[in-house]
Amino acid sequence: MAEERSSIIISIFSTTPGIGKTVTAINLSAGLAKEGYKVCLVDLDLQFGDVLNYLKLSSKQSIATAQRAMQIDADSFEVKDFLITYEHEDLTFAVMPPPFYLYDAYQANVARIENIVKQLTYFDFVVLDLNSAFSALNLAMLDISTIINFIGVIDFLPALKNFKIGYDTLIRFNYEESKIRLVENRADSQKLIESHDVERLIGETFYHRLPNDFPAAIKSINQGLPLMFCAPDSKLTKSFWELTGKYTNRKLQTDTQLQGVQTAGIGFFSRILAFLFGKR
Amino acid sequence: MTYQVILVEDDPTMLDDMIATLKNSTEFNLEATFKNVQDAVGQSSVFQPNLFLVNVDNPETLNNIPIFVDIFPDAKILGLVSNWNADIAMNVIATGALGCILKPFTKQDILDAIHLYTERGKPGLSRIISFFSPKGRAGRTTAAALMAQVIAEESDERVALIDADLQFGDLPIFFDIEPKQTIVEATQDIKLLNPLNLKPYFYRLSHHLYLLSSPDRPEYAELVDVDSLADVVRLTCNLFRYVLIDLPAGFNPVSVAMSQLSDTVVIMAMINNGFEIQHMKKALEVSKSMEVSGDKRIYPVFTRVNPCTEEERLKIEEKLGYHVSDILPNEYRMISLANSGRLGKSLPKDSLLMKNLRKIAEGIITGER
Ligand SMILES: Nc1ncnc2c1ncn2[C@@H]1O[C@H](COP(=O)(O)OP(=O)(O)OP(=O)(O)O)[C@@H](O)[C@H]1O
Ligand SMILES: Nc1ncnc2c1ncn2[C@@H]1O[C@H](COP(=O)(O)OP(=O)(O)OP(=O)(O)O)[C@@H](O)[C@H]1O
Ligand SMILES: [Mg+2]
Ligand SMILES: [Mg+2]
Repeated sequence: MAEERSSIIISIFSTTPGIGKTVTAINLSAGLAKEGYKVCLVDLDLQFGDVLNYLKLSSKQSIATAQRAMQIDADSFEVKDFLITYEHEDLTFAVMPPPFYLYDAYQANVARIENIVKQLTYFDFVVLDLNSAFSALNLAMLDISTIINFIGVIDFLPALKNFKIGYDTLIRFNYEESKIRLVENRADSQKLIESHDVERLIGETFYHRLPNDFPAAIKSINQGLPLMFCAPDSKLTKSFWELTGKYTNRKLQTDTQLQGVQTAGIGFFSRILAFLFGKR
Repeated sequence: MTYQVILVEDDPTMLDDMIATLKNSTEFNLEATFKNVQDAVGQSSVFQPNLFLVNVDNPETLNNIPIFVDIFPDAKILGLVSNWNADIAMNVIATGALGCILKPFTKQDILDAIHLYTERGKPGLSRIISFFSPKGRAGRTTAAALMAQVIAEESDERVALIDADLQFGDLPIFFDIEPKQTIVEATQDIKLLNPLNLKPYFYRLSHHLYLLSSPDRPEYAELVDVDSLADVVRLTCNLFRYVLIDLPAGFNPVSVAMSQLSDTVVIMAMINNGFEIQHMKKALEVSKSMEVSGDKRIYPVFTRVNPCTEEERLKIEEKLGYHVSDILPNEYRMISLANSGRLGKSLPKDSLLMKNLRKIAEGIITGER
């Protein structure tokens, strides 16, 4: 069922919570939009999503109302009716809000959400803000992702263990190594575990390191603004811009025209998952 | 010591077997046997029994145990069951009896059971305390681990920590142990388990503190059946006066089932950017409709509160719109302690974090909480 064109799907995933997934998802989306791409940020932290909080947005529509509409009448379903727009100055990107009610989040249907995300093909980039578990939903999303941005703050032993276990599990689940991008957040903060020790343990190098800047991060959250607007000079802002550039091949392309869009592959490992997890 | 035994068993053949088992023994002296519980209740007071063995397959006998407890507060009471059943075992403990043993039994079985159940602590139902949080990185594991240590020390009774954060449980690494058995084996073996063979699934962390570890790999979480896990927890209550459960973040089948099973749920959030108060509010609102709360004791606890003052607690409470039972301070030594695998041992007793946790623990021990 290969479509003519599909979006680049970047999932932001971690196996330790609270380490900057949402901050990364927002600033990556903003960076991609700044480069001129059509971007949709999907908040898939269904129970306690923070995207609307961190961007000071509110919405009547959500992925839950989208799910219901799709269930009632799949033919007339238009995903754009359920998106809201984040706008600041000349920057704009779309946001798919998480369910408003916890009950809806608890009842979420993986196949239907997958279907909804797959209908976002008219965007150049779809950024998925996930939560920190190997849930059926997250695995389905990692399956359809072009890139898995696997992020961690490796400040203490349990976090290191969970980063390593998370990575090993992704490999065991047969995600291509090239698809997994290891990102270390708050990389330069005072900590007891050195980045290169982490790399030695994982057997992989970090694709990108984001520096620590708590005041900037908090300011951005409190003002509901991506870092480029509220902390333009922060090293964290610059680092997010670099990360964005890595995902758009900014250096290789002279203009911001997107060429040769990759298709989001559906890995054969779904079968392995079906075997391992039975009930997918 | 010789046990002065009173036996209550309505099946005559079984009763004969038991009499034969206990006869000619230095440890047991059979004072009286009764075929029905009314006779036992009416006549036991002319004897000086210190051990009751009562058939609890018979519900009437079970219901009368509190009377024995009342008349003979110092006597030990064991329920006799034909088949192991977690629900009956819980009911037996609730009456004030020590626990159950399977029929038929040997003398050694009785001695082992008495030993095991006495080590558990005071008779009566166990406290089951779950550590829940809407989002992750809320300080659940830290609070559960430290509180378990404090309760074990202060109560001098047995405490179990169950790491039900199935995919990414951190308790084994907090205590720097490599368990041989985990929750996976315990749940898979549940049909074969009874209090006498459950203990090896636990790792002994200190004199009174034991840990049932999370699976070694995230995908093994799928091997853990929620109903079996609930049975493991109920079985655990036979050996431990306090059962503390570290949950995965958010509402999921495991966290919901474990919260429902608990008498106390500590809902934790770590102060960071302010939105955690909103998440807590949402969790508290929904926990009612999800039957997580029921008539349970729910304690919303905020951690890493700075400054950790009553004024700050009130501020959070106002934003939350619910009572905030406790606040815990930012303890900068936490990370290096968790790294050293020596959690709690090296945290000064007079640190504010330990003081505030001790307050909660003491409330639980005294039953005020
Ligand atoms: N590079 C950074 N420097 C300093 N602070 C940061 C950085 N990145 C994130 N933070 C802070 O970490 C906190 C958690 O970030 P965020 O909410 O993005 O994490 P998350 O992984 O999405 O969490 P959750 O798993 O709960 O959804 C935020 O309050 C933010 O201020
Ligand atoms: N009172 C505190 N002061 C300072 N740091 C703390 C405090 N409590 C916990 N921490 C630190 O916060 C981090 C998260 O704590 P912990 O692992 O207990 O939370 P959790 O809710 O179990 O997280 P997870 O969702 O990852 O299981 C750890 O680095 C821990 O050392
Ligand atoms: Mg998030
Ligand atoms: Mg934990």
